[in-house]
Amino acid sequence: MTDQAVRPGPAIALRSPALRLIGNRLATAIPVLFGVTFLTFAVIQLLPGDAAQQLLGINATQEQVQEFRDKLNLDDPFLVRYFHWLGDVLTGNLGNSLASDQPVTSILSDGLPTTFQLLAYALFISLVLTVPLALLAARNPGGFVDRVGMVTSMAGLSVANYVLAVVLVYVFAVQLGWLPAIYTNDTGTPGELIKSLTLPAIAIGFPLFCFYTRLLRADILEQMQGEDYVVTAKAKGVGPWRVLIRHALPNSLFGLLTIVALNIGTLIGATVIIEQIFAVPGIGHSLLEAINNRDVPVVEGIVLVLAVVVVIANLLADVLYAVLDPRIRYGRSAP
Amino acid sequence: MGAQLPEGEAGGVAATLAVAPTVAEPAARRRGWTRNLDLIIPGALVGLLLFLCFVWPLFGTVPPPTGGNILDANAPSFSEGHFLGADQVGNDLWSRLLYGGRNSLEIAFAVNVIGLVVGGLLGAFAAFWGSFVDTVTMRILDVLIAFPSLVLALAIAQSLGPSKLHTIYALCFFSVPAFARLARAQTLRLRERPFMLAAGLAGTRAPRILLRHVAPNILPALVTFALLGVGVTIILEGALSFLGLGVPPPEPSWGNMIFEGQAVMSAEPKLVLLPSAFLFVTVLAFNLLGDALRARGNAS
Repeated sequence: MTDQAVRPGPAIALRSPALRLIGNRLATAIPVLFGVTFLTFAVIQLLPGDAAQQLLGINATQEQVQEFRDKLNLDDPFLVRYFHWLGDVLTGNLGNSLASDQPVTSILSDGLPTTFQLLAYALFISLVLTVPLALLAARNPGGFVDRVGMVTSMAGLSVANYVLAVVLVYVFAVQLGWLPAIYTNDTGTPGELIKSLTLPAIAIGFPLFCFYTRLLRADILEQMQGEDYVVTAKAKGVGPWRVLIRHALPNSLFGLLTIVALNIGTLIGATVIIEQIFAVPGIGHSLLEAINNRDVPVVEGIVLVLAVVVVIANLLADVLYAVLDPRIRYGRSAP
Repeated sequence: MGAQLPEGEAGGVAATLAVAPTVAEPAARRRGWTRNLDLIIPGALVGLLLFLCFVWPLFGTVPPPTGGNILDANAPSFSEGHFLGADQVGNDLWSRLLYGGRNSLEIAFAVNVIGLVVGGLLGAFAAFWGSFVDTVTMRILDVLIAFPSLVLALAIAQSLGPSKLHTIYALCFFSVPAFARLARAQTLRLRERPFMLAAGLAGTRAPRILLRHVAPNILPALVTFALLGVGVTIILEGALSFLGLGVPPPEPSWGNMIFEGQAVMSAEPKLVLLPSAFLFVTVLAFNLLGDALRARGNAS
């Protein structure tokens, strides 16, 4: 946007709707990030309970607690502390954990890779299953595959991921002994990593698969029934499978990808519980521990990273949508 | 697209169930009363569950869910006085399932009623007044939606201490934004309708328009959404209880029963599998009921 001062006439950045869209979205994303971090701070600070007492234990004397509070400036007004923290963040310093004195950045860099691997694995499982099932269901709506698929997916949507996790552990770890019940990564080989992440990834991925399948099937059917390009393709004599896969699917897939991006926030919520059940040393695990200890810098650091991920994912969804759909790209509204 | 979807942590699944178009409804092809089977079966199931959890214990044939005799610990199923046996400390399992369901359902209803009233009003106000009010409300909702609500719920439950009431507070952070977004989208659609214009021209005051013209038109969608929301809330309540931040033991809830049973799962799988099954069937029944109602709403 700064181009405007340099170039005569309307700036290129402003003439490109896609860039203008990114600019607009970024402009709304930044206040959201402020809001999220402020809210976290407010919730943890304003609610009853005391970090110092929590960390030192019930047996700590009044003097010890006071000393700890002084050391960490816990007695400053809460707004002062928020802006103090914000100032540090803008210079790249996320602070140290109150509990372990470890830098928050190192806690993040320890946990994030594992969590992202888990999420990527879960998304992979769900998408790999979704596309063929949705295609089969949409090929013959109301048919056998469609009915079974829809019933299964409704059931899958009603299963809590922690219930699924517990049942998976019972069947595959306790009864059959095929996969480990908890995360083990002693040797650090990819094989072991995949093995220990399989059950948690299924627990997260299966409900997603059910959710995505319903969406994708409905969207493909809508394309097949209403869109001119499908009629054209059929009129040309293109076979039914080819119309589905080459014409309808790509269009529907864009919509699905948008939903996947919008859903990243929900996914992160799921990892907190699943990581706990399988003892996966990811970011959700650290988060729960930090919330229980009222370890404000760690909670803030993790929430900030997660909020940034959610905001970027939403931004990508919007931009992807605009880039792929010419009607939005050129500023005309989609019908 | 984003504006239409009441997207949220919890809203995600329910929201998409609520907006996903249904193509080729098989129910429409049937004749007579079987046409409504998709409504009757889940409705009956919900009725049965409500009866079991809220009415059946009143007849006094169910032992109390806590304070069981330690001598009855791990009693097998169908033993004397314990229809489904007892848990590790001798509490009757059947009774804990029913009372646990009562806790889960009470929390879910409270959270969704609060969400419907508060969120519905917020969303309708925002859409009705538009401009500044709308922008501010939507920005606040954006923050709540970008925020991993589970973190908020965990933080609230942790600092207030685990209790039923605090679980309700915490879960309202999921329900209120989701309902608000839906109510806003629905109200926006109404704003251009002739009867709204007529009401405005007739000099009807805003509160009356909201109450008499907007509310009856957006309520069906909100109630359908609430049914889907009950399922989601039961799952979330279980999650909080599972993490030790929901209904505090020894008071039962399906979530904390699953959590407690997990430790002895290889020896006594029923302590985990039975509450899991109840949770699943309840959520499924509410989802099917909401889904069937939504399909009817779309058709008309």
